[in-house]
Amino acid sequence: MTTVDLEKLREEVTAIAELTNFSRASLIPVLRNIKEKYRGIDGEAMQVVADILGMHPVEVDAVSTFYAFLQPETQGRFVFRLCRTYSCELAGKEEVAAQLQRDLGIGFGETSADGAFSLEWANCMGMCDQGPALLVNEEVYAHLTPARASEIVADYRRVVEDEAAGRSVDTRPAGLEVADIKGAANELTFSIIPAGDGLAKALAMSRVDIIDMVRDSKLKGRGGAGFPTGIKWNLAAAEKRTPKYLMCNADEGEPGTFKDRLILSDHADLVMEGMTIGARAIGASLGLIYLRAEYGYLRPHLNEVIRRRKEAGLLGQDIGGIEGFNFNIMVAMGAGAYVCGEETALIESLEGFRGEPRNRPPFPVVSGFLNRPSVVNNVETLAWVPCILSKGVEWFKSIGTENSTGHKLFSVSGDCARPGVYEFPFGITVAQLLKEVGGENAKAVQIGGASGRCVPEKDFERRLAFEDIPTGGSVIVVGPDRDMLALAHNLLHFFVDESCGQCTPCRLGNGKLLEGAEMLRDGTCTADYLEELKGLANTMQVASKCGLGQTSSVAFMSILEHFGDEIHAR
Amino acid sequence: MPDKSALPTRRAPLSQLFQPDLVPEPVSPEAIGATVPITIDGIETKVPLGSTILQAAKSLGVHIPTLCYHADLEVAGICRMCVVEIEGQRTLQAACAYPITTPIKVNTYSKAVRIARRHVLDLLLSEHCGDCYSCRRNGSCELQALAEEYGIDSFRFGHCERPMPVDDSSFSVVRDMNKCVRCRRCVRTCIDVQEVGVLEATKRSKDVFISTFLHKPLNDVVCINCGQCINRCPTAALYAKNASDEVWKALDDPDKHVVIQTAPSPRAAMGEMFGLPPGTTVTYQMNTGLKRMGFNHVFDTNFAADLTIIEEGTELILRLYKALVAGDTTVALPQFTSCSPGWVKYCEHFYPGYIPNLSSAKSPQQMFGALIKTFYAQKLGVDPAKIVSVAVMPCTAKKFECDRPEMRSSGYKDVDFGVTTRELGRMFRQAGLDVPSLPKSDFDDPFGGATGSGLIFGVTGGVMESALRTVLELVTGKKLESIYEHGEIMPVRGFEGVRYAEIPIQEVGPVPELLAHLVPDWDWLRGVTLKVAIAHGTANAHKVMEDIKAGGHFSGCHFIEFMACPGGCLGGGGQPVPTSAEIRAARANAIYGEERTLSVRKSFENPAIVRTYQEFLTDGPCGHRAHELLHTHYTPRGKHID
Repeated sequence: MTTVDLEKLREEVTAIAELTNFSRASLIPVLRNIKEKYRGIDGEAMQVVADILGMHPVEVDAVSTFYAFLQPETQGRFVFRLCRTYSCELAGKEEVAAQLQRDLGIGFGETSADGAFSLEWANCMGMCDQGPALLVNEEVYAHLTPARASEIVADYRRVVEDEAAGRSVDTRPAGLEVADIKGAANELTFSIIPAGDGLAKALAMSRVDIIDMVRDSKLKGRGGAGFPTGIKWNLAAAEKRTPKYLMCNADEGEPGTFKDRLILSDHADLVMEGMTIGARAIGASLGLIYLRAEYGYLRPHLNEVIRRRKEAGLLGQDIGGIEGFNFNIMVAMGAGAYVCGEETALIESLEGFRGEPRNRPPFPVVSGFLNRPSVVNNVETLAWVPCILSKGVEWFKSIGTENSTGHKLFSVSGDCARPGVYEFPFGITVAQLLKEVGGENAKAVQIGGASGRCVPEKDFERRLAFEDIPTGGSVIVVGPDRDMLALAHNLLHFFVDESCGQCTPCRLGNGKLLEGAEMLRDGTCTADYLEELKGLANTMQVASKCGLGQTSSVAFMSILEHFGDEIHAR
Repeated sequence: MPDKSALPTRRAPLSQLFQPDLVPEPVSPEAIGATVPITIDGIETKVPLGSTILQAAKSLGVHIPTLCYHADLEVAGICRMCVVEIEGQRTLQAACAYPITTPIKVNTYSKAVRIARRHVLDLLLSEHCGDCYSCRRNGSCELQALAEEYGIDSFRFGHCERPMPVDDSSFSVVRDMNKCVRCRRCVRTCIDVQEVGVLEATKRSKDVFISTFLHKPLNDVVCINCGQCINRCPTAALYAKNASDEVWKALDDPDKHVVIQTAPSPRAAMGEMFGLPPGTTVTYQMNTGLKRMGFNHVFDTNFAADLTIIEEGTELILRLYKALVAGDTTVALPQFTSCSPGWVKYCEHFYPGYIPNLSSAKSPQQMFGALIKTFYAQKLGVDPAKIVSVAVMPCTAKKFECDRPEMRSSGYKDVDFGVTTRELGRMFRQAGLDVPSLPKSDFDDPFGGATGSGLIFGVTGGVMESALRTVLELVTGKKLESIYEHGEIMPVRGFEGVRYAEIPIQEVGPVPELLAHLVPDWDWLRGVTLKVAIAHGTANAHKVMEDIKAGGHFSGCHFIEFMACPGGCLGGGGQPVPTSAEIRAARANAIYGEERTLSVRKSFENPAIVRTYQEFLTDGPCGHRAHELLHTHYTPRGKHID
C-alpha cells in the first residue's frame, strides 16, 4: 500500500461506515474501497478501520486475508486475474497463462517492480461459455488466445504510460473489446413475462395466498439444493421477530455456472420483482443482493435498476399503496470467496465476518442476518416467482416433472459447439441436452459444477431433475480425448483454494485428496492408499460442517468410479 | 450453579440502522420447561427443549469426545470430533452444536461415527508437528488422549516434520503453532471472554493460521499476559514461560537465600495437580513441601494483600477527602484496583487516559517483594543481594509484572521469579513430594499468617470486600459484624460478570491512630453512600470502562475492582487445566470456606501489619517510605501496533 494520508483515510472510512451506523457490516465495503483506492491494506489502514468500526485490528486482518479480493498485499495498478477452473482449462488457459507471464514479466501471485501489474489466478469468474476468461480490475475479457492476451497487455501498458506521462486516460484501454456479458442463450420465458405483472398480482393478494401459490407451484431453489421456496417463505413468515431480511444470492461461484450473470444483466427487474413479492410474503423490510466480486461490472446496472424502481414507487415506502409495506433493496458486494454462496457464510460475510458457514440449526429463516429471520434465495429462483404469479401455478406445474416443476436455466460450457445459457424444462435427459448444445460426442458431463458429479456416457439417458440428477444448472461437456484425472485434479485444486478452513475434514481432507490425485497421476498411489482416500472422502461427505465439504469429493469419487480403468491404465 | 453471564458472547451488538426496533429475544424454551423425548444409544430420556445432543448425552453419562468445544466458550462446531448419527439424516451432526427441538434417535458410536472421528484425528495428526514425549502437555493433552482413545497407531495421512519457529517473545505466554489444531478456543477466549483481541484465525482453507495482528511477536501486540488462552488450549500450542529451572538453580546454590511467597489461589487449586477434586485446599501441606524442597522461608502473600488493603484503602480515603472536602475536581475517581497485572496492562493499552484512576498501590506480590529485600533482609541480617525471591501465583501476567523495570524499589529486582501453580506442581512432583499427603505446617515469621481479607483476594469481589471491611470499620468505629452477618459483605460476592453495590455510611466514629495524620475527622463521610463495582474477565472490564467513558452509571462509582481473569485470580492463567465455571466455583468455595476458619478477618487487625507500620513503614500508610516501596506508576501504552 502506498503512502497514505491517515486523516484522509479516516474520513473515507468514516463516510462508508456512517451508512451502517458504524456497524461491522461496513467492514467489507470499507476494505474493498481501500483495496481499490490504495491497492493494498497495510497495518496502519487496518488499525484505522478497526478503530472506526470498534473492532480489534487482528479481526480486520482475519477478514482481509480470508477474501481473495481483499488480500492485504499491495498489488499493481491493474490486476490481471486469469480464470483457472475447468471450462477455461478446456478452452486453453495454460497457453494464455504462459503468454501473460511472458508479456507481463511476472509470475502468478506477483506484482511488477514498477507497480503497474499484478497477475493472479481466479477461481471461476462465470465466463465459462467464453473461456479462457480474464478479469482486469473490473473489466472482463473473453475468448482469449495467446495473441489476444498479448494485445491486451500491450494496450494496458499504454494506459500505464499515458498515466505516467500525465495524459488523461480512461480506466481501460479505449477500443479494446470486452466480453459479451450476456453471451449466447436460447429463448427465455423471462423475456415474455409482462413487466410488473407478477408484482401487481401479488400486491392484490393476501400474504398467505402469495405463499400458498409459490408453495403449490412446487418451485424449488435453483441454486442446486432444491429446497421448496414456498416452505422456506412460510417458515420465515411465521417468525414473529422483526426486522426480517430477504437476500438474493448472486454469489454465483460454482464453476461452470453463469446463468445469473445473464439474468442479472437482462432481467434484473424480474429478480427485484421476485424479491419484492418475497418481501411482501414474509414481511421483510430490507433486501440485499449479495453480488460476487467477479461480477463487479454488473453493480452499476443493478444500482440503476434499483434507482429506477424507487422512482417508480416499486421500492420504498407503502409500495403499491399498501400502507406499511416498506421495502428497499441494496447491493452488497462479495470479495472473492466461493464458500459465500453457502447461505450462512453469505450472511456472515454480509455482517462483516469471514465467510465461514454457521451451525444449522438454527436456520436463517429463524435466525439469519443480524440474528433476525432471513430468507436467502437464488437469483433464478426469485426471477421465476413473478413468472408464476403472472402465468399461474398450473402453467408452471405443467412444465418439468412431478417433483421438479418448471423450467431450469442451464449454464453449458466445455467441449460443445454452442456453449451458453439454455432454458429447458426439468426432466430433460443429458443426451437431449447434449444434442441441443452440440456436444453429442462427449465422453462425460460434469453436472452441478465442482461440487457436482461426473456423469459418464452410459448414463446419458438419465434426467436432469431433483429426482434423478439434481443440479444448479452447471453443465460442463467433456470431450472424448480429455484426461479425466485432469478434471478431478482441477476440481480438487479448486476446493483446496476455496474451503473456508473451519472444519477439520474439509480444511485438511481436500488437500489429501488432491495429493492423492497427484499420486495417481504420477503412478505412486497404492491400491491400499486409494481405498484410504475413498474412506476419507466418505467421511468428508458426512462429517463436514457445510455443503462445501460435504460435496467437494463427489466429483473425484464419481470419476474414480466411472473412469477407474482410464486412470489406472496410465 | 455459577452464573454464565460472566462470560460474554462473541457478537457485539451491531448497527442500529439495521435494527430500528429491537425486539426482545423470545423466552428461552428451557425457562418454559418444555421437554423433548429422545433416544441416545437406545436409552430413552427426556431433555429440556433446546439442549444440545452433547448436554443430553452427558446427562445420561454417555461420553462423546470433543476438541473445539469448551464449556466457557460459544459453540464452534468445527473440529467435528463430536459428530454423531441421527436416524434419518444423511450427514452426521456435531453433538456440541445440535439443539434438540424434535424427538430424535441418536447413535453416538455407529460405524460411520467411529470412522469419521478416526479420520478427524488422522487429519489433525498429519499437520501436528512434534513428539509427545518432548511436549509441554505430555499427559494433559486432549489430542493425545483422543489419539489413545481411538487407538491411533500410525500416521495414515502422514505427519508434519517441518517445524515452524516458536514465538517466545512474551514474558508470560509461549505460542507454538506446530501443536495448533485450529480449534480456535484461544480465539474465542481472547476475543469473547477477554475482549483483548490478540488472536484470530487468518487466511483460509489449509492455510488457516491462528495469528496475532500481522504475525507480530506476542510481545509486540496488545497481549495482557492473562494466559486465559493457555487454560483453554487443548494442546501445547499455548503454554506459560517456565521459570522452574531458574528456581531449582537458586535452590541448588548454597550461597542463595531463597524465599517464596504463596498467593491464595494456588493453594485452592494445587490439589488438582495431584488428582484431588477442585476445591480441596492444601495450604499447609504446600508449606511443608516448599520447605522440604529447600526454600529458606515460606511466606503468605496474604500478608501483602492486607498491606495492599491498608495502602489502597488509605489512597481511596485520601482521594475521597480531596474530592468531597477540598472540592478538588482533578481527583481521579472512581479509583481502580491495581493488583491484577493483566487488568493493569489492559488499562494501559486500551484506556491509557484512565491511568490516573488506577490505584498507585503495587500488587501484593510486588509489595511483598519490596519488603523482603528491605525490611526482612534487615531483620534477618541477610544481604539482599543473596536473596532470591520467588512467588507462586495463579497467574501468568505476574511473570511480566515482576519484570517491569519499575519493580526494583528495593534496589534489586523485587521479585526474581513468578512461577505458576502448574509449574510449582511439576516441581513438587520432581522432588517426589505428594503434596496432599504431606503433614501441615505454618507460614514463617516475621510475616506469619494473614487475615481472611488477604485470602479472599483470590476470588472476584474479594479485594472489594476486604477493602470495605477495613474502611467501614475504621470509619464507623463499629464492628463490621454488627452491620453484616459474620462480617461477610454478600452484595459484592457472586460470579456475575459485572456487579454494583451501594454501601451507605450512616454514622462515623473517631479517626483511628493509623490514619490520624491524614484526616482530621470522618464527619465528611457521614451520610455518604459508597458506590462500588466489581468486574472480572476483561470483556466485562471493557463494558464497565465503556460505560464510564460515556458518563454512565459506573462513572459515579467511588471504587471499582477489576480482575483480568474470569472468577478472579482463582481462574488465573497459571492455574491447573482444565477450567470451567464449576471448577472456578469450587475453588471459590474452598477459599471462602478456609476464610471462615481464620480468627482474624480484617486487614488492619493483622498483627504483622501493625508491627510493620510500627517498625518499618513508620510514616504510616501512603507515607513517604510506603510510597517509595509499595507504590508504583504506570505506562500509557495505547493500542496502536507499530
